[in-house]
Formats: sequence, structure tokens, C-alpha cells
Amino acid sequence: MNRVLFSCEGLTMKFGGLTALNKLDLSIDEGDILGLVGPNGSGKTTFFNVVTGIYRPTEGRVFFDGKDITGASSQTVFEAGIARTFQRSRLCLELSIFDNIMIGNFKRHDLGFVSNILRRKAFQKTCEEEIEKAIELIRLLNPELVGSIHKPVSDLSMIDRRRIEICRALIGKPKLLFLDEPSAGMTHDETNQLMDEILAMKSDERQLTIVLIEHEMGIIGKVTTRCAVLNFGEKLCDGTYQSIVENPLVQEAYLGREVTEDEV
Amino acid sequence: MPNSRDFLRCSALAALLFIYIGFLLGAEEELSIAAYLLCGIGVIIALVLFDVFSAIERLVQANETLWQVLMLAGTLALIAVFHQDHYTLFLIGTIFIYSVAVLGINVQLGYAGVINFSGASFFGIGGYTAAVFLQNTSIPTSLTLPLGGLFAAVIGSLLLLPVLRTSGHYSALVTMAFALLMKVFLEVSEWLGGPQGLSLPPLEFMGGNFTEDIVIMGKECSFYVKYDIVCLALLVLTFVFVRRIERSWMGLAMDAVRIDETAAACFGVNVTRWKIAAFTMGNFVIGMAGALYAMMLSYINPSNFTFSDSLLFLSILLLGGIGSIWGVIAATAFMVVIPEKFQVVQEYRYLIYSAMVLAMILFRPSGLLPRKPRSYATGGRS
Repeated sequence: MNRVLFSCEGLTMKFGGLTALNKLDLSIDEGDILGLVGPNGSGKTTFFNVVTGIYRPTEGRVFFDGKDITGASSQTVFEAGIARTFQRSRLCLELSIFDNIMIGNFKRHDLGFVSNILRRKAFQKTCEEEIEKAIELIRLLNPELVGSIHKPVSDLSMIDRRRIEICRALIGKPKLLFLDEPSAGMTHDETNQLMDEILAMKSDERQLTIVLIEHEMGIIGKVTTRCAVLNFGEKLCDGTYQSIVENPLVQEAYLGREVTEDEV
Repeated sequence: MPNSRDFLRCSALAALLFIYIGFLLGAEEELSIAAYLLCGIGVIIALVLFDVFSAIERLVQANETLWQVLMLAGTLALIAVFHQDHYTLFLIGTIFIYSVAVLGINVQLGYAGVINFSGASFFGIGGYTAAVFLQNTSIPTSLTLPLGGLFAAVIGSLLLLPVLRTSGHYSALVTMAFALLMKVFLEVSEWLGGPQGLSLPPLEFMGGNFTEDIVIMGKECSFYVKYDIVCLALLVLTFVFVRRIERSWMGLAMDAVRIDETAAACFGVNVTRWKIAAFTMGNFVIGMAGALYAMMLSYINPSNFTFSDSLLFLSILLLGGIGSIWGVIAATAFMVVIPEKFQVVQEYRYLIYSAMVLAMILFRPSGLLPRKPRSYATGGRS
């Protein structure tokens, strides 16, 4: 039995009259890849935003790695070890690939005045080491990008931007990674390719736990170890892919209910 | 090390540039000034259109250190050429000081995205600090520079709370309100001279008085040569400082805050901390520039630091290219020299400034010399 890395109890998020998340209970074991599925507007991204401190939950508690992180700031959540990507890729387009990856690495950077402004020799040495590390990480995803590490991200294709976003999330060595619909805006083949890369990375980093929001059920079936289904902010069920696909509640949420003869 | 071909190309470019600037600064008739200007603008547009401009940019970028040395040498040569001409030397000093001030705005707006419509107020705080300290105390003149910076930074921190609690247009409004407040405050403060302002004793540095003409290598030079050297030194220091901020994790953190606050916070960037840091460092730099400006003018009053001057700082930044250090210096030179040289347009200068900024935003939105992707190395790209 694996250790529970993340759990939330009764997590609720209300925007005025709209309840985006309703009393959500969820627990994730270390090393899991949890697929978070549900129709549009079912609260998947809201869940990410509440946990990563973009919104403050209306009710409920969030625990991560033995600590209570309910309502903590984005910065604190990141420092605790949760990194994420965004549905609409939020890279800094005018900055270089290396810069974007380094934004995920501030935990380890010395941001002091002396080391940044005055001790330039030492700074440049650490900078070169960081470039090596970034190259190592990029090579795992797309070796072709290594040569253009100082070029702006705006020159890249969608799949390469996703790759850089994943690198940015991984360079800080998080314990838990939230991937918010990494396939958005990509073709079927590209999505498959990216998922294979993520799986390959996961096999290197056994401890890494991933929560994946994804609409393509084929991908969910292929990569996840467990799934949770949301509908109207509530959890319908969770379990293995097979069990949720067979669950009549899930089928109803996605396809609608079968009309019985009485109703006709 | 640059190869000899690059060395020759860079030197030739720098020589051409400074010969042009020299002729422009030396021209006195309005007709010839207009001719020089049109020539200059025409050449720049042609270079951009025929893609030579970007080739020059690449050349300069590859030989960064060499280019910096050439620029410094060229500037010193200009000062030497005009060594007896008070007016031109004063103009050159003004370019240096304004460049320093706009580099301060650049740290705030260009890096961290903190808008500051009260640049001239902090410039003025620096100037008035210098004036008050020089009139009432016997501290060394050179100390008034950092003191001016310090006062601008400290008074600026009063603005931090409202600026950080608001965003976008609202924080812009806060800084505008401060600028107007500051001007009224200066006008009604008896002890700051009211509308008449204050006069400053001349700068004294290492025992030398700054208002006496000097003799260098057997040549009699205007006392403004000394001011120009001090202003140039401040500009070089600021240049190095701002460049190093840009090419460090600090600059990267500020960029992240400017481009996407939410994403930055999700990666552990302390958004508030970097906005405060940028605003304070920027105001310090602007305050130092203001202190030196006041000493060079030797007499200041509230109309030296109006809201229009704040707008001028921002237009210079837009024109040169937000975030671009060389762009700032080039645009400052342009914006300072044109109205001074072209007395006819003096009245209409704000009209011309706005027209130029509009044209820039329409045709080259990233500015005259757009900021380049960051390289962390000090001496050019590896």
C-alpha cells in the first residue's frame, strides 16, 4: 500500500451563486497517475486552481505531504512541491526556452542582490550549470530543441511549447505534477507522442505523482493508474479506468440518460 | 575576442555614428539641422527596410564589449570636440542624466511592469534633496547623489501600498495623482522655495570647484566638461547595474511577474517582492539622476519636474524600446536634442513627441532598438 501524498476533504468553491466544486473528497497515493475526467465545466480546472492557491476554497481542507495547505498562496503551494501546467499554455512567449524553464527553478536560485549583481563570475558559473541541467531535461523530450535554447518560445510549435511547459514544471523536482489538458490544441498523434514522453519520464522518476486532466478517453485509459470523474463540481466516482467506464453514472453524465418507456 | 574584420566594421560604424552626431550637435542654422535630421531618419528607415539594420544589430551583439568601449570613446571624443562650447556640453550632460532617469523607469516598467507616471517627481525629489542638503549641511557634494536616490526610494515607498493594491489603469492613476500632488506640494512649501525654487552651490569634488573653467592638456575647457564626465560616469554605472539586473535571476523574476503574474506565483515567484524591488531600485536611480541634474542646473524650481516631464520619460522608453538599454540612450539623445536644436518646434515639442510615439507604436511597436532575448553572459553571446 502506497503512502497518501495528497488529499482533500469536502473541498468547495463557490463563485457567487455558482458552485464550481461541491464537497469534493479525493486522495492520491504517491506514484499514482490520476486521470481527472468530466464534461466541460465540471470543475476540473477549478480544482487545480483552488489547490494551487489561485482561488481560496470556500470550504474544505487540502492536505499535501502531511501538511495542511488549505488556502495557502500559490508560492507556498509550489514550495511545498506541487507544480502545474496550464490549459492555455502560459509560457512567457517573448522569453527564451532557457528563461522559461528557469522560471520553474526559482526555489533553488539565489535571488539576492550580492550574488546576482556583484559576484558576476560566480553567477555565470551557476548559470552554466543550470544551462546543462536544462539541456538534460529538454533532451528527454525533444533533442532538437537543445540548439535553440536561447531562442524565444514564440518561435516554437504547440507541442514544443507544451514540452517546455512540462520542463518548466519538472525542473524544480516537484512531488506532485498537475497537467491541465496537455493535449489542447494538438493533433491526435502529437498528443500520443507527448503522453509517451511523459510516461517515459515518469519511469525515470518513480516518486513523481501526476494528476492529468484529459478529454480523450483513449489517453486516460492508456496512461492513468486511477481515475476520478467530476460532474457539476461533484465527484461521481473514482477507481480504475475500467470501473469508471462501466459505471452507469459516468455514462449518463457524458451521454445522457436512456429514456425509459414510461417517460415516452 | 573580436576578429579583425568585426573590429574594423564596428569601429567604422561607431565613427560614422559619432561624426553624424557631432555634425548635428554642431549645426546652428535651422535649415541645416533639418537637413541633418531628415538624412538621419531617412538612413535609419532605409537600413530597416533593406534589412541592414538587423545585420548591424547582430554584429554589435556579437561584439558587445568592443561596441561598449567604442561608444565610450566616441562620447569622450565628442566632449573633447566641443570642449569650449558651454551649450552643447550642457546638452550632452542632459542626455546622460535623462538616460539614467529613464533607465530607472525601465527597471520599473520594462522589467517588472510597474507603471510609473511620476518619474519626474522622483527626479525632483532627488534634486530638492541635493539642494536642501547642500544649503543646510556641510556634507561632501558627492554624497548628495546617493542621498537623493535614497530619498526618492523612501518617499516612493509611500506609494507602494496603493500601487500594489491596485493594478493596471488604477495603479497608473495612483502615480499620476502623486505627480500632481508633488508639484503642488513643492509650489506651496516655503522652506523649499515655493515657486521660486532653490539654488545650489556648485558641485565640489576632490577639492575642485565645478564652476571654474579648467585647462586640460594645455587647452582651456568649459567647466561643463567636468559635469559631463561626472554625468557620463553615473550613466556608465547605471548601465552596468541595469544590465546586470537584466542578466540575472532577478531580471528573470521581474520578467515573469510582468508577463504573467499568476503563472509566476504558481512557480514560487514572490510577485509583491519583485514589484517592490523594481519600484524602489528604479526610484533610487531616478533620484540620483535628479540630484546630479539639480547640481548641473545650479538652480531648480517646481516647473523643472512637471507631469509632462514624466510623460517625456515614458515616451523615451516607448520610443527606444521597452526594456532596451541602448534603445533608451538613443531615444533620450533624440528627444533631448531635437527641441533644443530646433527652436521653432520648442512650442510644439509635446505634439511632436506624441506623434513620434504614435508612429513608433504603429510601425515598430517594440521600439527603435528592441530588447533582445536574454543572454546571461557579460561579454556578448557565446
